[in-house]
Order: sequence, then structure tokens, then C-alpha cells
Amino acid sequence: MMSRDKESGLDFSTVIASTVHDMKNSLAMLMQAHSQWLSRLPDSHQQGPEQVVIEHEFVHLNGMLVQLLGLYKLGINQLPMLPDYHELDDFIGGLLAGYQEILHSRDIVARYEIDEATPLGFFDRELVGSVISNIINNAIRYAGHALLVTVREENEALVISVNDDGAGFPAAMIAQQHEYVQGIEHSTASTGLGLYFAARIAALHARNGVPGRIEIANGGALGGGLFRLYLP
Amino acid sequence: MLVYSQKSFLIVDDFTDFRTSLRSMLREMGIKDVDTAESGETAIRMCGQKRYDFILHDFHMGDGRKNGQQVLEDLMLDKLISHEAIFVMITAESSQAVVLSALEHEPDAYLTKPFNRVGLTQRLDKLVQRKTLLKPILQALDRGNPAQVLVACEQLCRQDPRFAPLCLRYRADAMAALNRHEELERFLKAILANRPTPWAYSALGKLLFKRGQTSQAKDVYEQAIKAFSMMPGLYDGLAEVLVALGESRRAQHVLEDAVRLSPLAVKRQMLLGKLALANADFDGASRAYRQAVSQGQNSRFKDPESNLGLAQALIQKNTGNGLDARTRVEINQVLGDVAKEYAEDQGLQVRARLIKATGVAQAGDAETAAKLTEAALARLETMDQFFSAEAALAVAAQLKQLGQEDAGKTILKNCVEVYGDDNAVMQNIAKLTDDSAILRAGNEAVDLNRQGVRSYQAGQLNEALEQFRKALKLQPKNISIALNTAQALLRIGGESPAAALLQECRDCLAKVAGIPDTDPRYERYRKLRIRAVGS
Repeated sequence: MMSRDKESGLDFSTVIASTVHDMKNSLAMLMQAHSQWLSRLPDSHQQGPEQVVIEHEFVHLNGMLVQLLGLYKLGINQLPMLPDYHELDDFIGGLLAGYQEILHSRDIVARYEIDEATPLGFFDRELVGSVISNIINNAIRYAGHALLVTVREENEALVISVNDDGAGFPAAMIAQQHEYVQGIEHSTASTGLGLYFAARIAALHARNGVPGRIEIANGGALGGGLFRLYLP
Repeated sequence: MLVYSQKSFLIVDDFTDFRTSLRSMLREMGIKDVDTAESGETAIRMCGQKRYDFILHDFHMGDGRKNGQQVLEDLMLDKLISHEAIFVMITAESSQAVVLSALEHEPDAYLTKPFNRVGLTQRLDKLVQRKTLLKPILQALDRGNPAQVLVACEQLCRQDPRFAPLCLRYRADAMAALNRHEELERFLKAILANRPTPWAYSALGKLLFKRGQTSQAKDVYEQAIKAFSMMPGLYDGLAEVLVALGESRRAQHVLEDAVRLSPLAVKRQMLLGKLALANADFDGASRAYRQAVSQGQNSRFKDPESNLGLAQALIQKNTGNGLDARTRVEINQVLGDVAKEYAEDQGLQVRARLIKATGVAQAGDAETAAKLTEAALARLETMDQFFSAEAALAVAAQLKQLGQEDAGKTILKNCVEVYGDDNAVMQNIAKLTDDSAILRAGNEAVDLNRQGVRSYQAGQLNEALEQFRKALKLQPKNISIALNTAQALLRIGGESPAAALLQECRDCLAKVAGIPDTDPRYERYRKLRIRAVGS
């Protein structure tokens, strides 16, 4: 990732990273100003199709910028990893809360189910949070009316799944998921890069030599796209 | 949604807009008791006057101001917030918070901007639920009762074993506070074998180091850094161990790595300065000390040693080349601050003047240098406080450099008397002088003291006391010997010691009343004094 432009002496990935950082701050200001402006409008003007697009794209943009910064830090081996025990109810609930208005306006019902026997999971909250958040964002784009996040334990690994009732992932993408994961194939830029990022974060969560992993499929309880994150 | 109407909130952010929008989010949640502060300094004052249930603190508070982490440390160390209170750190970027977090004091949650009301409510609800679950533990912490913390943890784990992992850290801290070393070591090793975390590595490293298993501690920290290369706290631990092993160059490199990860840390910068100075890296030392001085302005870890260190590093950096105007100004500034702010501390006053004299002499002004040296010597005459061994050695070296060899020798002689039983100190003294009269001055007393300790441990108290007394007669200002004598006297005196015995005890403690409060034996001295004077 560290491509150095010899003529100008600039390290482009660093320049891009610091620009992305500024973009993210700028976006945060924009979102805040927008919500304040919105709250001053009469109720009738607060809802509308454009508003939905604005909200969703704000979150989408933010997610992509976070992902870009994460990829940069992965590249220079400076992505902080601080795993700890987290309450899954709090974790998943918190992620979905950020999407509540978008879900509402798109008429999507999102639910989550957490196995009562395992209320805690061991992982880096920020990193796994940004992965699942991007996946949810993507699922909202393709979902019909339902979204389901489930967490359960399977063969000593925590499995977080995101399932929707849309048309699902393209067959070719499912077939080539290993290439996406390895970063070889990323033709559909946004989703492909998302999978690559998710796989790298999953792999950082290793236990006794077993790395975490991801998997995409179609089907599940809702019949659409199904993303699974395995954390040993 | 839980009911927050009876709860008090404090919002801390330097941006008015953000304070306003957060406040209106809280209003929408039905919260009425909301205070705001535009700086951490103000927030700390406010916490001194009112007990807040929730503090929402932005991490970045602008240059030259306390950041959220420093504020949290101050609030915890000064006990201005209860363990039951909820402290949420708000950050612009999530990963930065991790690097900046200290391993000892973590906020209850990090919240990344941007967030909406639903997200905030959800987060607060869950935090309240967790604190309710942990309430007995948190109350025991507030009471400062680690034994009770362990009982509360045990109860929670029995009640709902699914939540047992939430108790791990509380249990480890409590075991450490109770000095249950073997149990703690087994406990931490089990955690690391199962689910390694930075805090568990750090706790194990500290424990091994404390028990003198220095090379094992080093292995633990090295393993920890391999697993968690972005946690500066682990580098601090490794550096401390390396210093103890005499590997000061590697220790410096390790701290340089930590500073690259997280430059905002007064104590880390100060230790780096000290190591660099000892390693004759004067550029590195002045950089680190300069950071320590400027960051120290708004920190509880402000320390005049950084000012002295910076001046020292700047002077040595320019040895043989005079001093340019800018450097002279900087030296005057940092030493002037010490002279002003620590007017009562005789030792610091002497040291600041001698360093200044060295600088002035190097700049070519022999006359002023001589005047400053004379002033320092005059203060030295009347000083009843002891220098720390380290300071004494630095002063002796400076005096020698300023042409005051005799005064330097007096300092060394004194240092041998006070600290002569410490091998490391004696080795350093040997680097400054080969005068065998000085180097051997303490030998007989140190020998007698050693015999005394052996007799004391064997239960032969009267014999021990005689040996300590003889030793003390030879070196009355030796801290170890004086404390040992006092302790033997009090032990022999039992429940109601005779007046003469108490008087002797007070006399020998009075001789070492100059013990620096940074000395590891200071606490022991204080306790003995209370027993000798109080009973």
C-alpha cells in the first residue's frame, strides 16, 4: 500500500489517509449541521424521500471513510486491536440504533436475536462494529422489508449473521468469494472492498492459531443475502 | 428507555455547537439536570462541587488543554467521581481512542461521532444496566475495600455465570491490592492462556517485576507487544524492566516507539528524557524533556525534574560550543519556572542554580557563573533536606565541573553516608571519584548493619540493636541503618516502651528527617515516626 512517488517525494497513501481523515471530520460537521437545520423545520418538511437518501448516504459515506482509514492502517500495520468482553445485546442494538431512521423511512423492520446462553462476546468493539455496520448498510440497500441479525455460538466460535429478504448476492460473487476475501477480485468496488476489509478484520481475531473468517451466501431465515462473521 | 429524569449530566466539549446539540438530545430524553463545561479544567472543578451520574466528555479539547483521558485520570485519582458514575468518552475517530487510552483508567464506553439520539439512548441504557448488575462490586470499590470486591465478584459469578468475564479485571485488581501474589499469578496466566488482553499482560508484567522476577517480566512484556503492538502502556512496562536490567539503550528505543504511538504522556516523555540523557543522546533528551515540560503545564504529573533535565540536556548538547541566544533564553525560562514555583524546596533551588551556572560558564561568562555557584554553595550549607542519590551525584559532577572539587567531594561523602548500603549508588559514586577514603567510608557501618539484619531476622533482637547502634554511630545519617535501629527499638519496647527508648528512637529518626519524599523508604520512615512520637 505504501506507494511512494519518487519524483515529488510524497507518500501517497499517507496523503490520502490524512485527506480521508479530514473528509470524515468534515462529514461529521455536515451531518450535525444538517440535523440541526432539520430540527428547525416544520414537521411536515422533516420527512421526505430526499431526506431518506441524504440520511442513508451520510451513513454510507461515513462507513466507507472509516473502512478506508482502516485499510490504510492495516497496510502499515497500525490498526489498533483491543479485544475485550462485550455485551452482545448492547453491541448489536447500538449498531441498529444508528440506522433506525433509515430503516423506518425505508419501511424495513430490523430484528436481532441473541442466544441467551452467550450474552458476552470477545472481540474488538470498534473493528467488528465497523464491519457489521457496513454489512447492515449494504443489506438495507438490497433488502425488501426485513432484516435480521443473529448471534449464536457454533463450534466454539461466535457467529454474527446479517440476513435480508432481498434478491441476495450475485451468484458469481458467492462463487468467487475467496478472491474477494484475498483482495484479488474487487470489480463491484464498494461491496468487494467491504468483504476484503471484513475478512481482514475477522482474521485479526485469532484464537489458539485459528483465525476468524467470513462467508457470504443466499438463503437464511429471510431468503435473501446472508453474511456470516465467525469469531473463534 | 430507562428513566433519566432524576439523573444529573455533565457535557464537556470545546465546541459550542456540539454542546448545544447534545444538550437538546438529552432534553428530548426528558433529562432536565444538564450542565455543560467548555474545558476539562472547568469540568474537574464542577465535579468537585456536584456529584454527576453521567459525564459525556469529548476526547480532544484543543491544544494546551487537558484531554478527556487526563480529565478521567484526575477525576479517578482525586475520587471526584464514584465508580457507579458513567463516563463516556466521545471521539471523532475510533482507533485513536484506543492508542490514547491508558491501561489503568478506561472510560465506561467510547462513543464515536456522529451519533443520533436513538444511538445515544441505547448506549446509555445498556451502560446503566451493566452498572446495576455490577453495583455491589462498584460500591466496594468506592469504599476502597478489595476483600469485599472479591466477595461481590464471587456472588455475581455464582448468580449468573454467563457474566463472569465482566469480573475478571475487578478480581485481578483486588488480588493485587491484597498482595495475594501467587493466586494473582495463576489467575492472570489462566486469562492469558484463554483470551489474552493487554491489561492482563500488563498486570502480569507488573506483578513479576514487583517480585523481582525481572527477566520473566521482560518475556511477558515482549510477548504482549507482539500481540498488541499498538498499546503504548505495554511499552512503558517493558522500558521499566529494561532499565532495571541495565539495558538503558534498548529501554530508550522502546519508549521512543511508545511516544510515536502516543506522544501525549508527561511521565513517558520525562522518563524518555532521562534515559536519553543517561545514554548521552542530548538531542533526544532535549526533545523529550521539552515535551514533558510543555505537556506538564496542564497535568497532575507536572514535575520540576523535567525542567532541570531539559536545561541539562541543552547544555550538554552544546558542550564545547558555547550557547546560542535562543538556547540561553530557553534555559533561563525553564530554570526560572523552577525557582519561582518551588521556592520552598532547598534542594531544587540549589540544583537549578548550579545548572544555570554551568550554562553561563559554557556561554563564556565566568564571573556570573562564579556568583551563581557561590549562591548555590551558600544555600547548600544551610540545607537540611537530603538530595536523592541521583540528584546528589548530578550536583557533585556539576560542582567538579565548576571548579569546586572540594564541595563536590563533600556531597559525595554525604551521599555515601546516607545511601552507602545501596550497591547501585556506590557503583555510580565510583564513576565520579577514585578517592578510596570516600568510597570506603561506609564499609564498616554497612557490614554491621548487615549483621544486624541477620540477627534481627533470627529473632536475636538485643544483639541486632547493638549492631545497629554501632553502625549508626559510624554513619548517623544512613537512612537504612537509622530506620532499622528505630524499628528494633520499638520492637524491643513492645506495647509500652520506656521513655528513654522512645527518646533514642526519636533521636535517630530526627537524624534522617531529611529523607526525600520520593525515596521508596519514605512511607516506612513516616510510620516509624508516628509510632515514636505518637505513643
